[in-house]
Amino acid sequence: MNIVNYEFMEKTQNNSLQVLMRFIILCFCMFIAVGISYLFFQNQSLRLDESQSLWQSSHSSKMIISLIGQDVHVPLYPLLLHVWLLIFGTDIPVARTLSLIFFVLSIPIFYILGKRLYAKDTSSFATVLFSISPFMNWYANEIRMYSLFVFVALIHMYFLIDILKNDSRRSWIGFTVSSLVGIYTHYFFFLLLLVDFIFYLTNRKNFGFNAFKNFLRVALITSAAFLPWMTYVFFLGKISNASPNLLSPTSVDLFNMFSEFFIGFQNDFINTIFLSLWPIVILFGFLALRRNMVIQPGTIYLIMVFSIPTTIAFFGSIYIRPIFLSRYLIFTMPAMYLLMGWVLSRYPRFLMYVLSCLAVLTFIFGFTVEGLSEMTPTKENYREVATYLEANTLPSDIIVVSAPFTIYPFIYYYHGFNKVLTLPVWDQNKVGPIPSFKEDQLPGDINSITKDHTNMWLILSYDQGYSEKIRIYLDTHYQRLVIKKISPGLVLYEYKFSY
Amino acid sequence: MINQDEKIKREFISPDIGNEILIVNTILTLIYFYTIAFAFPVGNKILFGILIFGEVYHVYQALVYMYTIKKMNYEFPRNMAYSPSVDVFVTVAGEPIDIVSNTVRAVQKMDYPNFKVYVLNDGFVAKKNNWHDIESMAYHLGVGVITRKKPGWAKAGNINNALMQTKGEFIVIFDADHVPHDDFLKKLVPYLIDPKVGFVQSPQFYKNYAKNYITLSSWAQQELFFGPLCKGRNGFNAVPMCGTNMIIRRDALSSVGGMNTSITEDFVTSMYIHQKGWKSIYIPEVLAEGLAPEDFLSYYKQQFRWARGSLDVIFSNNVFFQKGLTWQQKLQYFSAVSFYFSGIIVIIDALIPLMFLFFGIVPIITSTMQLAAIFIPYIFVTLYILEKTSNFSFSFRALAFSMSGFMIHVAALFSSITGQKVEFSITPKKQQSGNFVYLVIPHVFYIVLALVGIIFAFVREGLSASFITNTIWVFLNVSVFIPFIYASIPSAMKQESIKKILINEYS
Repeated sequence: MNIVNYEFMEKTQNNSLQVLMRFIILCFCMFIAVGISYLFFQNQSLRLDESQSLWQSSHSSKMIISLIGQDVHVPLYPLLLHVWLLIFGTDIPVARTLSLIFFVLSIPIFYILGKRLYAKDTSSFATVLFSISPFMNWYANEIRMYSLFVFVALIHMYFLIDILKNDSRRSWIGFTVSSLVGIYTHYFFFLLLLVDFIFYLTNRKNFGFNAFKNFLRVALITSAAFLPWMTYVFFLGKISNASPNLLSPTSVDLFNMFSEFFIGFQNDFINTIFLSLWPIVILFGFLALRRNMVIQPGTIYLIMVFSIPTTIAFFGSIYIRPIFLSRYLIFTMPAMYLLMGWVLSRYPRFLMYVLSCLAVLTFIFGFTVEGLSEMTPTKENYREVATYLEANTLPSDIIVVSAPFTIYPFIYYYHGFNKVLTLPVWDQNKVGPIPSFKEDQLPGDINSITKDHTNMWLILSYDQGYSEKIRIYLDTHYQRLVIKKISPGLVLYEYKFSY
Repeated sequence: MINQDEKIKREFISPDIGNEILIVNTILTLIYFYTIAFAFPVGNKILFGILIFGEVYHVYQALVYMYTIKKMNYEFPRNMAYSPSVDVFVTVAGEPIDIVSNTVRAVQKMDYPNFKVYVLNDGFVAKKNNWHDIESMAYHLGVGVITRKKPGWAKAGNINNALMQTKGEFIVIFDADHVPHDDFLKKLVPYLIDPKVGFVQSPQFYKNYAKNYITLSSWAQQELFFGPLCKGRNGFNAVPMCGTNMIIRRDALSSVGGMNTSITEDFVTSMYIHQKGWKSIYIPEVLAEGLAPEDFLSYYKQQFRWARGSLDVIFSNNVFFQKGLTWQQKLQYFSAVSFYFSGIIVIIDALIPLMFLFFGIVPIITSTMQLAAIFIPYIFVTLYILEKTSNFSFSFRALAFSMSGFMIHVAALFSSITGQKVEFSITPKKQQSGNFVYLVIPHVFYIVLALVGIIFAFVREGLSASFITNTIWVFLNVSVFIPFIYASIPSAMKQESIKKILINEYS
C-alpha cells in the first residue's frame, strides 16, 4: 500500500513538474516575443501602412468608419487603435504596443491549439517557433491589424477543433463569436470560413449530428452581421479607388511567401539561397513516412488552413484581381508552424532534435538579420530621410514625394519649414481618390512646382509604375545634385531648378 | 494494449479513399507532366528525352495506382456451411526439419472437416540431405508425403506431380515456412461456393518481421502489395497468385495444365487461370505466417528472382497479347511486372542532378520555383494517398528499399533480355552470416560521385541557385540509399538494430 502511494506521489510530482516546465516555456516564449520586439523592431521608422493606420485612427469613430469604407479593409482594428491612442497617447511605440499585445496573447492560444491537436512537446516546440518567427515578430511591431488577425484566427481555429472533438455549446459560441470578430478584422477571414466549410464537407462523419445545422446558423449570423458593412461600403462606392497597385503573382511570389514565413523579409541573396533548398521539402516528406502515424482530421484541417487560402489567393490574383500579399495570408502561418512541429515529431528522435535545433537557429538568424540589416526589403526609413532633409534643405527648396500616399509617413517625421508636395499633385485633405499619373501632365506639374523654388528634393518610394518616368524626366531636364539611397526602395534625389 | 502483431495483421483493413482526392491528384499529376514535357524550354535534348522517359513511367505508375485503389473493399458471396474436400500441400525442398514440422503440425490443427495433408518432398530431386528425414517426419505426424524422384520444374513440377496423385476438389498450397492459422480453411473455403471462383489468395505475412533490420524492411515493402494493391485488384478480377497461402480449385488448375513452370510459376499460372475466365478473390486477412529473408544476401536473391520472373512475363508472355484477359486485367498484370522497370528510372533520376554538377547541363530551362510549384503539390498528395490507402503503414524504409533495389532490377532486366538461365532457388529460412557490403557498391559509388560532383560544381558555379537545388536532389537520393546500405552491414542483422523502430512505430 505504501509503495502504491509512493508511486502515485512520484507520478503526481512528475506531472506537476512537467506542467511547471511547460508553463515556464510558455512564459519564456511570451517574454522572448517582447524582448525581440524591443531589441529589434520597436525603434524602426514608421512605414507607409503604419502611417495610414495612425492617420485613419486619429479621426472620430464616424470618420474612421467612413475612411475605412473607402479603403480595402474592415474597421475593427482602426477603431481599437483609436481607443488605444486616446487612452495611452499617440507615440509610435505606444501604437505598436497594441499589435505586440495581440501577438503576445496569441502565444498561449497557439500553445493551447497545438496541445488540442498534438502531444504537449510538439505544441511546445511549435510555440517556440511561433514566438520567434521573424514574420510574426515583424507584424507584431507594425501598426496594422495583422497580429489581431492572427489572434482571432487562432481562437477561431481552436473552437473549430473543439467542435470536432467536443461539439459542446461553449465551442459553438466561441466559434460564432470569433467568426463575427474575424470578419471585421480582415476580409481574408472569409477564406478561413471557407476552409471550415470545406473541412466540414470532407470530414462530415467526424462531426456531431447537429453540426450541419449549427454551421448553417453561424453562417447566417455572420452574414447578417456583415451585411450592414457591405451595404455601407457598396453605397459609399469608393473602395475601388483605394485598391493597391499589385501585380499578378508568379511562382516566385508564392515561394517568397513561404520563405517569409520561415526567415522573414530578407535580401535577394539570402532569399535565393533559402528558396533553392526547396527539394529538401520532399526529403522531409519522405522521412515523415512512418508506420502507425495516422494523419488525424485536425492535421487535415491545418493542411487545409495552410493550403486552400494560399491557393485561392494565388489563382484569384492571376485570373480575377491581384490580391496576393503574404501579410494577408498571415493567418495561415500558425498552421504551418504546427504542421512543422507535427512532421518533426514523426522523425526518429535524434533527427528530430537536430532538425528542431536547425529550425530554431534559422528563425533566430531570420529575425536578427531582418531586424538589424539595412537591406531588409520592407524597411522604409522615412525617419532618416526626414532628419536628413531637416538638416540639409534651404528655405528656397521644395520637397516632392512620390508615390503621393507616402506623404503620410514622411510628414509624420518631417518638422522642417519647406513645402511638401506630391507627384502626381494631390491634396490629401480633400475627399476623393489620388489622381492617376499622366505622363503628358508631368511637365506642367513640374513647372508649377519649380515656381519660386531653386532646388527640389524628390523622395521616390512605393513605385506605382511611374517613378522611373519622373526620374528620367527630371534627369533629362534639370541638373541632379544628390542621389541618396535611404533604404531598399526609398531613394532621395536633389535637383537644381535655377540659380 | 493491442499486441503489435495483431495490429500489423489488421493493417489491411482500411476504408476506401474518397474519389475527390484521387481526382485532385490525377489533375495534379497531369499538370505536372504537361508542364515538364511542354511548358518549359528544352535544355540538353538527350537529357530531356531521358527525363521525359522517366516521367512517363512515374505518371503511368501514379495513375495506375490510383485507378487500382479507387475502390479497395469488396464483398463476395460465401457459404459458411460449404465444406468440399481439400488437399493441403506443404511444399518442401530441403528446408530445416523443425520449420517443416512446425508448419505441418499447424496444418493438421486447422479447423475443417474434410481435408488431407501432403508434404510435397522435393528434397531428393533438389539433392538435399534431409529429404529422408522429411519423409520420416511426415510418417511420424501421420500425414501423406509425396517424394519426387524425377526432377524438373522446381516447385511447379513438385505441385504438378502431386496433382496427379491426389483427388481433392480444392488444393491449398503452403510454403514450408508458412504456418497457417486454425481458421485458414474456414475463412477461405466458403468463397469457393461460387463455381466460377478459381482461387482465393490471402496475404503473405512475415512473422519474423521484428527479427532484424532486413526482415523489418522486407515486410515494409510487402505491405503496400498485400494491402491496397491486392485489395484493389479484386475489382478487376486480377488478383495474382502469390505461391503460398492460397486455395485453388482443381478444375481451374487443370484447365491451364497445372502450375506454370517458369520461375514465377504462381504469377503466370494466375494469369492463365484468368485467361480461362475463372474468377479470383483476395482476402486481406492474415491467415498464415511465414518467414522473411533474414540476411541481406537472401533478400537480394529473393528480390532478384521475383524481378527476373516478372520481367520474363513481359518478354516471353507479353500480357497485352494474351487472349481472354480484359484490358483491365492486362493493365493490372502489366503494372505488376513493370514495377521492375523502376530500376532504370531510379538511375535516371539519380543521374540528372549529377549531369548538372559535372557538366552544367540540364534537361529543361526553368526557374527552380516554377518546378517546385508544380512538383510539391503533386508529390505530397501522392504520398498522402499512399499513406491513406496503406492504412498508414507505408514507411520511408519501404520507399528506400524499393528505390534502392535499382541494381537488382537492372540486373534482372539484363538477364531477362539476354535470356540467361536462372535456377529456381528457395529463399533460405535461416540467417546467412557475413558482410554483404559488396552488394551496395553502386550506391556507395554514387555517394562518392556525388561528393566529387558537388565540389566540381561549386568551383564552377559558386553558390548559385541551380547548384544548391541540384545538390539537394543528390542529397535526397543519397538519403534514400542509406537505409539500404545500412542493411548490408552485419549489425543490421541484429535485433538491436531495430529496437527503437519497434518502440516508435510498432508499439
